[in-house]
Amino acid sequence: MFDILSNYGLMFLVGSWPNGPIGGFAATLILAALGLLLSSPLALLIGLARAGSLRLPRYLATVWVYTFRGIPLVMIIFWAYFILPRMTGVTVPAFVTALCAIVVYESAFLGEIVRAGLQGLPPGQTEAARAAGLSYAKTMWHVILPQALANMVPSLVNQFVSTIKATSIVYVIGVQEVTFAAQQINSIELNSALQTFLVLAGFYFVACYCISSLAGRLENRLARKRLGLA
Amino acid sequence: MKARNWMSCTAALLLGTVGLAGTAHADRLATIKEKNRLVCGTQNASVPYAYQDATTRTFVGYDVEICKALAKGLGVELEHKPLSTEARIPELKMGRVDVVAGAMAYLPERAQQVDYSLQYLQGNIKVLVKDDSGIQSLADLNGKRVCASKGSSSAAIAERVLTGSRVMTFQDVASCNLGLQSGKVEGFTAGELVLKRFENESAQSGSPTRLLPEATYVERIGVVTDKGNPELIEAINGVLRKMDESGELDAIYKQWLGEDSVYKLKRTFKVEPVTTS
Amino acid sequence: MDFDWGFLVSGNYAQKLAEGVLTTIQLFGLSWLGGFFIALLIVGLRAIPFKPLDRVMRLVVEYHRNVPTVVQIMVWYFGMPQLLPDSLRLWINQGQSEFLFAVVALSLNVSAYFSEDIRSGLRAIPATQIEAGRAIGLSATSVMRYVTLPQALRISVPPLLNRSLILFKDTSLAMVIGVTELTYQVKAIENLTFRSFEVFAVSTLIYLGCSLLIMGLGAWFGKRFPPAFKG
Repeated sequence: MFDILSNYGLMFLVGSWPNGPIGGFAATLILAALGLLLSSPLALLIGLARAGSLRLPRYLATVWVYTFRGIPLVMIIFWAYFILPRMTGVTVPAFVTALCAIVVYESAFLGEIVRAGLQGLPPGQTEAARAAGLSYAKTMWHVILPQALANMVPSLVNQFVSTIKATSIVYVIGVQEVTFAAQQINSIELNSALQTFLVLAGFYFVACYCISSLAGRLENRLARKRLGLA
Repeated sequence: MKARNWMSCTAALLLGTVGLAGTAHADRLATIKEKNRLVCGTQNASVPYAYQDATTRTFVGYDVEICKALAKGLGVELEHKPLSTEARIPELKMGRVDVVAGAMAYLPERAQQVDYSLQYLQGNIKVLVKDDSGIQSLADLNGKRVCASKGSSSAAIAERVLTGSRVMTFQDVASCNLGLQSGKVEGFTAGELVLKRFENESAQSGSPTRLLPEATYVERIGVVTDKGNPELIEAINGVLRKMDESGELDAIYKQWLGEDSVYKLKRTFKVEPVTTS
Repeated sequence: MDFDWGFLVSGNYAQKLAEGVLTTIQLFGLSWLGGFFIALLIVGLRAIPFKPLDRVMRLVVEYHRNVPTVVQIMVWYFGMPQLLPDSLRLWINQGQSEFLFAVVALSLNVSAYFSEDIRSGLRAIPATQIEAGRAIGLSATSVMRYVTLPQALRISVPPLLNRSLILFKDTSLAMVIGVTELTYQVKAIENLTFRSFEVFAVSTLIYLGCSLLIMGLGAWFGKRFPPAFKG
């Protein structure tokens, strides 16, 4: 297993850069980080719309959520890459297409988690805040969302971790991230199928575990704050 | 019935938008000459056809060389595009690549969707079994499990030829070999030269294996273009014939499959139509 | 471009697709049930105030969440039998073990996520609920069983539904060990016929259709068993 790392370490980490586009684990992390960064505000809006009382936003958000949770990510990427340019006449590079597909996909799932957090709170919280004279925006920002999101940290972390691994599917449109690198190595090496996959697993595990630990510490901090309030 | 109609409508809508955009087009050859660029697709992780070299981290292989030769023969620049199995045909049909040299064997069903050039490679599809399994011929594979790599010609062919066996596909040839070694499957079918590597490897580590002498199929590999581009096919055929006469094809073969490679195969095929039986 | 995909709804291909759909649904159903009950077990075990046990459970959850599902499936299928005695290994290899291993791998994988989602729900429950439960004389397990868990499950319905949908789509990963589920069949047909757009369109529609069914079920469940605080 260690000879795979030493021989192919660079391929795993950056793909064919600088002879080609950035690839390997670097591409995975960039894609995942950007994807989460861009989909989070969208998810917030979708969650608020779904849990809110206004009909039109709720309806639109529901259609969004139902559509993008129901289609496999590989198919979203596939159709976005092949059909959208035909329909719109604009050609988008593979990396950007993959990123947009991930943003759209994750926003649907994260939006639902936000909604669960919002609906899990006692309505008394909202009532008290509004009674105290806070506007809708202020109520959400200062009172409701902090509590809702704090409750949902385990689920949010679940989804973040999922995103990192979901990026592996982008190889179908030629984005050369780390799973692609593993496939390369698998075709060159003959007897190392399991070892290559374990090295691949190692990369993902390290990244995901870091996020999980950070989230665990965040949870502990929030729990201590809550006990202070309770 | 209703669900089917609904599915039909949606799918037709999806494909209709695609079709509307793609109906009128000149022969691709004209576009290639105009752009002064041939976009040539190959596989992305298949030794020795098209794969990423570990040290230089560039794409190399038999098919990559064919792409280079095609571009040179047509007098244009080459843009090489490594493609995944899912994308190879869509990219061709959407016009994002001009040709695909992806070790794709000729099959009548496939020829309904794409056009094949003259063959530039021919190979035997064989089955690898464990030495101690007692399997001597293809008939002995009845009732047994045979593995092929997903998306390969061997997979498609195995389903048709080895009707008595249970054909399973794994993600890639390395997984199939793992399956054979660990007893998950009794046979592993792929191109002869891929299997030769594994046969040699197994003599040194793992359980020894051997190739069944009978081939399941003779695969004729040609360059593939979208339908409706006869001039392009003619041009490619012209280049291939010239490569054959000048010895360039022999040189590429020697480097990747012949004496200078690990396979040490001798070239026995002619550059002839893929439908020759 | 030729759109004759009537070929898909006739004869051999249609049958293969139907088999694929059936296998996918079986994979999903069994993995969901297995995953859900293992998740309840994990949640229950983690509620016990015994630090080492919590650490072990956390490790189990972290492994199943952070290692890619494909790798988990392969480790079970290729790796696990190597640890068994020869006779058992041969017996396993005789039968159609890939489906079984896929179910085991998927169940464990989804149970880790389910347990975290249920924990989200548990966190949302005010401590006063537990205090009240203990105050009227319920034991710790009874409080969990009758007071907190039912409420937690209701709050967690959206994330659990999310994860169920992801599980449904993850069943396609079983194709790497040869399970003939829908995506496997779709790829086999595409490989033979090169009719990529048609088969991928059908695949997309089937996954979307089944997912809508699952979401409908989830929505019904959410309405029927709403979180305690609504209204």
